[in-house]
Amino acid sequence: MRPYLSIQNLSFTYRGGNRPALKNINAEIDGATFVVLMGHGGAGKSTLCCSLNSLIPRFFRGEYRGHVLIKGKEVPCHTVSEMSHHVGMVLQDFESQLFSTNVELEMAFGPENHCLSRKEIGRRIEQYLTFVGLKSFRQREPATLSGGQKQRLAIGSVLSLEPEILVMDEPTTDLDPVGREEVLSLAEKFRQENRILLIVDHEPETALRADQVWLMQEGEVIAKGSPEKVLPNLSRLKSCGIKPLPTIELFEKMGWAGQPLTVESAINLIERHHLVGQRGPFPTTVPSRSMKSSPLLSAEALRFVYPRFQTEALHDIDLSIDEGEFVALLGQNGSGKTTLAKHFNGLLKPSSGRVLIQGRFAADYSHRDLARMVGYVFQNPDHQIFARTVQEEVGFGLKALGENPPTISKQVADALETVDLQGYEEKNPFALTRGERQRIAVASVLATQPRVIILDEPTTGLDYPQQKNMMEMLRHLNQKGHTIVIITHSMWVAAEYATRTIVMKDGSILADGRTRDIFADEAILERASLRPPPIVRLSNWLGTQALTLEEMVKELKG
Amino acid sequence: MNLFLYLDKNSWLHRLDPRTKIIGVILLSCLCLCFNHPLYMAAITLGVVLIAILSRSLRNLWLLRIILLLLFLFSSLMWPLFAKGPTSLLSWGFIQVSRESLLYGFAMGLRLSTFVAIGLIFLSTTRNEEFTNGLIRSGIPYPVAFALSTALRLVPTFAGAGATIVQAQISRGLDLESGSIFSRFRKFTPQAIPLFIYAIRHTHLLAMALESKGFSPESKRTLYHELRMGRTDYIAIALLLLLLGFAIYIRFGLGLGVILTGRM
Repeated sequence: MRPYLSIQNLSFTYRGGNRPALKNINAEIDGATFVVLMGHGGAGKSTLCCSLNSLIPRFFRGEYRGHVLIKGKEVPCHTVSEMSHHVGMVLQDFESQLFSTNVELEMAFGPENHCLSRKEIGRRIEQYLTFVGLKSFRQREPATLSGGQKQRLAIGSVLSLEPEILVMDEPTTDLDPVGREEVLSLAEKFRQENRILLIVDHEPETALRADQVWLMQEGEVIAKGSPEKVLPNLSRLKSCGIKPLPTIELFEKMGWAGQPLTVESAINLIERHHLVGQRGPFPTTVPSRSMKSSPLLSAEALRFVYPRFQTEALHDIDLSIDEGEFVALLGQNGSGKTTLAKHFNGLLKPSSGRVLIQGRFAADYSHRDLARMVGYVFQNPDHQIFARTVQEEVGFGLKALGENPPTISKQVADALETVDLQGYEEKNPFALTRGERQRIAVASVLATQPRVIILDEPTTGLDYPQQKNMMEMLRHLNQKGHTIVIITHSMWVAAEYATRTIVMKDGSILADGRTRDIFADEAILERASLRPPPIVRLSNWLGTQALTLEEMVKELKG
Repeated sequence: MNLFLYLDKNSWLHRLDPRTKIIGVILLSCLCLCFNHPLYMAAITLGVVLIAILSRSLRNLWLLRIILLLLFLFSSLMWPLFAKGPTSLLSWGFIQVSRESLLYGFAMGLRLSTFVAIGLIFLSTTRNEEFTNGLIRSGIPYPVAFALSTALRLVPTFAGAGATIVQAQISRGLDLESGSIFSRFRKFTPQAIPLFIYAIRHTHLLAMALESKGFSPESKRTLYHELRMGRTDYIAIALLLLLLGFAIYIRFGLGLGVILTGRM
């Protein structure tokens, strides 16, 4: 019997592209398989996804060679909408896929296109809304749903076409840990229905659940196999820009036998082989806040109500941040992190309570002066890039503040050097990669040399090496004296880089303290639906101080 | 951010067939064109406001009150300069304002805001999908209907992105609070270009997503919400037709409701 999906010698070069996006891909899937596709930014993961429902070469033109066969049918010979009978596609940006005015009609859109009867459409809406757990939201407007719910709706609206293959391109990147779990548990359920599932993801933890892991590098699939076979090869993972599983890396560095994929199996191995003894619970430090004259940023009894909704987004926030701190703001989507942060650069004004910046009311500053004190980097760099050259882009703030040209050039050059993009002055910012654009956005805030830099999700959309680069750069800035505040969903980023962590839930501060102490209290994190990264969980179990792999190796060998 | 005009209520207007509402919008607009006397126009405006109250969509009119007011003021101030009437009030060089032209200006102001209000009520009580389906069932080709409703649907999305972009640029020191008109215009670039690029990227992705869900503009599709013209629909259309006929009779039969003859 021929395989359900077969890819033969597939190569593709985008029109105008100077190198092939896909090179000689060969793969076969025979039904009921869960594949996780991983690789660095620009490795060709999305391109491969798009070739499965003929978006390539029908939507994106270019030079196409080789064959993609589904049930023996040549995919490129069919239109995208014909392929929708077999392949369901959930694209990377789920926001722009939701189109209808309520949940029910969003689910009905696909079946309507397939000219199904009204009764059948009704049945499918019912069945798949239950499947994605949105049954009670039938009449809601998609825009009012949370991130995880939106993504589940995007998946549901594709599932209602009952495709045999479901392809999801980075379905969890923009989601908080709860949303992630929601989406991934759908994936498991889908597999039980005997269908093929292909997911692109950056997190090796996702890959643990898969039947097969495919690694991509520079347009080629360089490894295929079960997670147990693919994930322990650390050097290969690193060359593909994937964060290796920390448990495996730890065992390798310590010279211990075994390649545990999860924290639980690592603990098992340690206990069985008496590799290292558990230490007593480590002493939590009492926060010894130095009673300095005035903190750099502070909020007192801050409340905020969004005028249109009359819902209280923040209540009774008391917080002060001193000069030179590196703070991580954690919490679910909608917990108020961004709302709080926007008060510190005056984008939002408190409904009651006070926000002080260097002892002065935030409201007393003009936007210009505030921009010099507090820089704010938005999540998506494409919301601000507009200029023809990097020089103009990064110098925009300075020019708006009325600096003279020599100062501008000097400060732009400094900022570019800090973000490691020296010599990029004359390049076109739109032609850069996502990671580079993110850095341009940071540089353009940095150029005005603000004392505080607030970053909303600085690592979203970046692959592991880019994330590490970005965070190293922020650490460097922090050491130079800038106060850094990051809003993040990435637990390992917070654990490795922030010295202080603030956990928010439902508009209030749930916990605030030294990062190590916060991450030691797994119960309180759970209340905010968060979980420490694997290495910290292991560290908590061992009773070590370590927050990172390097620290743990040092401490254990110590 | 919620920027959609549709209000999910269950009024009699919400329950009307979208085709009835499209016809209703056309008939009411024609009604507005019947008179250019401010008193007669005001009666129509009042009627429209009444419909807004009955369909529980007054909230949207209130939300956009500034726009409605600006339209009214602008029109009331501009028209007197161009229309000419017999009873002169003010004569200053080129500028001549008469009593009739002033009243005509008021009427035109009312007419313009009423047009907009009618459109707002329509959008507040009609789902985008109903609008699309209504157009298709009225014989408009599918691609045209779809393009029209998509354009409407994307306005709030782009407005939301626009708000984020403005915030991002303000955070970088863009000062929107001061400067001459000329320098303010220059400040437009850092807002317009990212929005433009966002729009292109967004529509591109949307097209991919729609096709991936089996949409193709040429082929037929079923409609999940069946459209059915009921008794209330026919009654509503009949009433509006009667009203329009009556208005035409008043204007042309009785010659009333006119402040400046020879103008619409």
